[in-house]
This record gives sequence, C-alpha cells and structure tokens, in this order.
Amino acid sequence: MTSANLAAVQADAGRPPRDWVLIGLWLSLIVVAAIWIAPFVFIVFTSLKSTGQVMTTSAFAPPADPQFSNYASAWARGRFDTTFVNSVVITAIKVPLGLMISAMAAYALAKIPMRFGRLTLVLILFGTMIPFQVMLAPIFTLVNGFGLIDTYPGVILPYLAFGIPYQVFILHGFFRAIPHELSEAARIDGASHFTTFRRVFLPVSLPVLAALFILDFVATWNEFAMALVLLQDREMWTLPLGLSAFQGQFSRDYGQLNAAIVMTVLPATLVYLIFQRYFVSGLTSGAVKG
Amino acid sequence: MASVTISEVRKTYGAVAVIHGVDIDIRHGEFVVLVGPSGCGKSTLLRMIAGLENISAGTIAIDDRVVNHLEPKDRDIAMVFQNYALYPQMTVAQNMSFALELARVDKATIRQKVDAAAAILGLEPLLDRKPAQLSGGQRQRVAMGRAIVRNPKVFLFDEPLSNLDAKLRVAMRAEIKSLHQRLGTTVVYVTHDQIEAMTMADRIVVLNAGRVEQIGTPLELYDRPVNRFVAGFIGSPAMNFIAGTLEAGQAGLKVASGAVIAVGPYPAELVGRQVEFGIRPEHILVSDAEGLDARVDVVEPTGSETHVVVDAAGEKLVALIRRRLPIAVGDRLSIAFEEGQGHLFDAGNGQRLALEPMDV
Repeated sequence: MTSANLAAVQADAGRPPRDWVLIGLWLSLIVVAAIWIAPFVFIVFTSLKSTGQVMTTSAFAPPADPQFSNYASAWARGRFDTTFVNSVVITAIKVPLGLMISAMAAYALAKIPMRFGRLTLVLILFGTMIPFQVMLAPIFTLVNGFGLIDTYPGVILPYLAFGIPYQVFILHGFFRAIPHELSEAARIDGASHFTTFRRVFLPVSLPVLAALFILDFVATWNEFAMALVLLQDREMWTLPLGLSAFQGQFSRDYGQLNAAIVMTVLPATLVYLIFQRYFVSGLTSGAVKG
Repeated sequence: MASVTISEVRKTYGAVAVIHGVDIDIRHGEFVVLVGPSGCGKSTLLRMIAGLENISAGTIAIDDRVVNHLEPKDRDIAMVFQNYALYPQMTVAQNMSFALELARVDKATIRQKVDAAAAILGLEPLLDRKPAQLSGGQRQRVAMGRAIVRNPKVFLFDEPLSNLDAKLRVAMRAEIKSLHQRLGTTVVYVTHDQIEAMTMADRIVVLNAGRVEQIGTPLELYDRPVNRFVAGFIGSPAMNFIAGTLEAGQAGLKVASGAVIAVGPYPAELVGRQVEFGIRPEHILVSDAEGLDARVDVVEPTGSETHVVVDAAGEKLVALIRRRLPIAVGDRLSIAFEEGQGHLFDAGNGQRLALEPMDV
C-alpha cells in the first residue's frame, strides 16, 4: 500500500460510515415539508397578487408587484373587525378555561382515590367517541332552549363539552405517569390537593399543557360547523364563517380571498411559535431518580 | 424527639392481609431500622406511620398521641423517599422551604432555617440549582434537607440509599448516622440491606411476611437470632445451615450424606430431633488439627478477607478467612467450628432451640 493510499484509509477511518437510513429519513422529511409548505407559499404569493396577475402567472411565481392593499380590502370586505373580535373572545375564553377544567379533572381522577373514579373516567372518555356532527341538531335544540343562540356562552359551552374529554384523556395519562412520591411528598409537606395540583403538577406538565393549548387553539379558531349552526347573526360570526361568506361574494378576487386566509391562519401560527418552546423534554428529570 | 408506639397494627388490602398485628415500641431519639426482604411489609408500615396508608386495625401513637386519623402534615413527621421526590421545577432552596411556606412561616425564619439545614448538609453552593442539575448524592442530601428544615418529631426514611452507588451509599450512611447523633431526632428507617441496618441502627426490627421476627440491637440479632429466618437474614456472607438429626451420646449431627458432624454439646432431650445447625462463616476455622475433611469449591478473595466455599460431608459451607492462606480450588482442608458459636434451630418451625450459644 502506498503512503497516499494509507493516508486515505486513515482519513476514512476517522469519518463515520454513511447512514443510508438517516439520509432516507432526511429526504422524506424534506419532501413532506415541501408538500406542507407548498400551499402556504401559494396562499401568501397569491394574497399579494392582483386578479390579473393571478390569472396570468404561475401559482408559485413570486408576486412581481406586491399588492399589500389586498389585505386592507379583505379586512374591510370580510368584516374582520367583527369576526376577528368574535373569534378572539371565544378562543381566549374557551381554550384556557377548557384546559383548566380538564387539568383539574384529570388530576382528581388520576391522583385522588375515589369510589367511582374509574367509572367517571370512562363516562368522560365516552364523550370522545361521539362524532359531534351527530350531535349538531340536539345541541342546537338545547342551546336554543336556553336562549343562548347567537351568544358567546351559547358556543363556548358546547365547545367546552366537546374539548374537555380528550384533554382529560391525555392529561390523565400524563398525571398517572408522574411518580406518586411527588404528591406524597407534597402531602407530607402540608399541601392540599389544590396546592399540590397548582404548585407541583401544573409546572411539571407544562410541555403537555402547551401541546394541548396549541391543538385546542387551532381547533377552536378554525371551528366551522358548530359555529355555523349556533351563530346565525352576522354580528356574532367567527373568522371561518366570515371566510366562507367571503368566498361566495368575491369568488373571482383570489388575491383578497388569500389575504383573508393569511390573516386567519396568522394568529394560530403565532400561538404555535410562542408555545412550541415549552415543548422541552425532560422537564421532570431530577424529580425522582434519573 | 418523640416516641412512636405501634400496637397490634394490621393492614389489609381487600381480603389480602399484608401486616398481621405488629407491635413495636420506638423510644425517644432512637434510630430504629425496619429490615426484611422485599414484600415483608416494612415500607407499608413506614407509610402507615407517615399517614400515607390507612391503618386497618390497631393504633400508631407518636408521643402517646394516637395519630391513626391524622393527616400526614399534622403528625409532625418528615419523610425521605427512595427516589428523592424533589419538586423538579423548584430550586434546592424552594424545595427545602416549601413545607414552611405552606405553614405560613415568615420569610426571615424560613431563610434562617433553610440556611441552617444547608450548612449542616453542605448544600450552600447548590441552593439556587434545580434537582436536574444535581448528582444522586446531592439530591439525596436535598431530600434530607427538606426533612430537616421542618424540625419534625420523627424522621422517616424509606430506603433512601437504594439508588446510590456502593461508594456513595457508604458515605451517606455515615452522614445520616452523624446527622442523627447531632439532631437527636427519632428515626424510623426502612431498608432491605441488612448491612445498612447493622451499621446504622440502635435497634433493628426484622420483618418477614408482615410479622415481626425479632427486635433487638444489631449484635443481639447477630449473636442470638431467635429463629432461622433472622439467623439467615442478618450477616453477610449469610450463616451456614446444616440440616440433620442429633445423635445420642453427643456424637453430633447426622447429615443427609450419612456422615456425623461434631457440633458441640447439646441438651440430651434434643437427641433424635430433626434440627438445623447454624454456623457463621467467620466461625468456621481452617484447622491444622483433626477436623472435618472439606474440599474447596470456590475461592473469593475480597482483599481484607477471603470467602471460601467448601464441600464438607456433602454440605456446602462458606468460610470467611481473614488470614492470607494459599488456598486453591480443589484443595482439601480440615475445618472446625469455633467453640460455642453454633446455633440450633428446630427443622420444623425454625425456632431457636438453645437460647445461649452452645458451650463446648
């Protein structure tokens, strides 16, 4: 072997072998990311084009002359000052309130010995199994019976009823996995159940709460069917309802429609960016042996 | 400091009884270790003292006050858990002050108590760290600090050293012991490690299958075990047992192979009885004189001593030899049992037959 060959072999030895599985995974990740990003790029680009540009250029061509006025027009025509506020009010009340109730229920079911605890859990979980489309008509009758059609509580309460079961399901599993010594230590330290929940369990479960917050925020923000049934007064409409009317009215103005879509998804994106940093693993490490 | 009186305490889970009427009297300032194999009920008993488990029957009193129905926080106890159970999102200082904070102690006092406990345990440089940033030993010390700041009447330790490596365990053992000497607080300590029990306890309670087998000082248990279970459980390497029948005329013990082994004098009324003869490894001597012929099967040098497994008259025995002897596997030795160090147990119920070590 020549000295040059030897040097090459030594250089190779220092390099880790090529991992084809990893490369394959990266490639598929890039493809999936491209598939997911493509519509968003399309929407953002289209939102900045005039109708003429939309018709004459490729969907993925960047706007040559960005029409920022599309946003102002869409805001006004889509009555976003009303629908946006309605969506914010409903989401801002429903999401934190639902999470709070779910977390407390999950803690109670997971950590407080109760006579019918398991049965209660099963009953709550049963709620996740009923498709809400089936329940739309009964809910309308019920909400109407309470005189809550076209009111915030009229839509927030059904949202809570459908959101809480699956949140309880996830949080219950998470709380059960937290070592019971942690709650026992708190009990010996003199903490009530509520204090243990608030001071020990809530901080430990921040990552899962953040995940649920994001999921629930997006689901509530984008909810369409139930809002359509329960909110009939245009003054009470939420963003998705406003958006649907928008599409019929200005179906030829794709620039404005897409500007409206961008404005609708923006808050959800912001919420995701803010809360995704709480997705930190190992928050409980160090609590017990680790 | 306080006494803990456990009277006729029972614990049942549905139809399953796990503690069958336990009586233990723990004196002021005493360090009592509950020891026993896994599942013997020692942790359950500790948790009943703490108030984390209901008591099915009987009473537990701390300083003559029955605490059966008191909440853990009202029993004036502090507990250190096997897996530390530190609050992960709180700093060391916050972990230690949590109980005082909940008891609405004023901030200055809390600070003073936390500082004092941190000084005792050498935790001052770590007060602002989170549990995840600490080593196992440091976490264990924080768990103890959390107990100390409350200045409880009784400390409860539930296998606190099980998660530490061997070296750290020895160091922490000494630390807990010296802490007890300094604070003088009553300690109830649970472990399955009999060495931990022997080295730390003022008195040991040996539990087995939910019953107290024996209560006594470490050396009482070692020298005069009341039954075969305690004899086998306390001591490492464990006591050797040879089953057989006592022969007439002080001839000795007739073992399964048919050989008769000299075990020293025994009361005449035991002749013909099925017994187990117990002898501790350090009481088996390699003798130059006429003794029992044995073949060396295994040699385990530990440095300070050597454990030698021998086969004598068909019985496997472990001898502990402190001298450096040139012994190799397959060698033939002559062994003898040290005078007055044997124990006799009934083969049926395992109870001790001779109360004193046998005289020769």
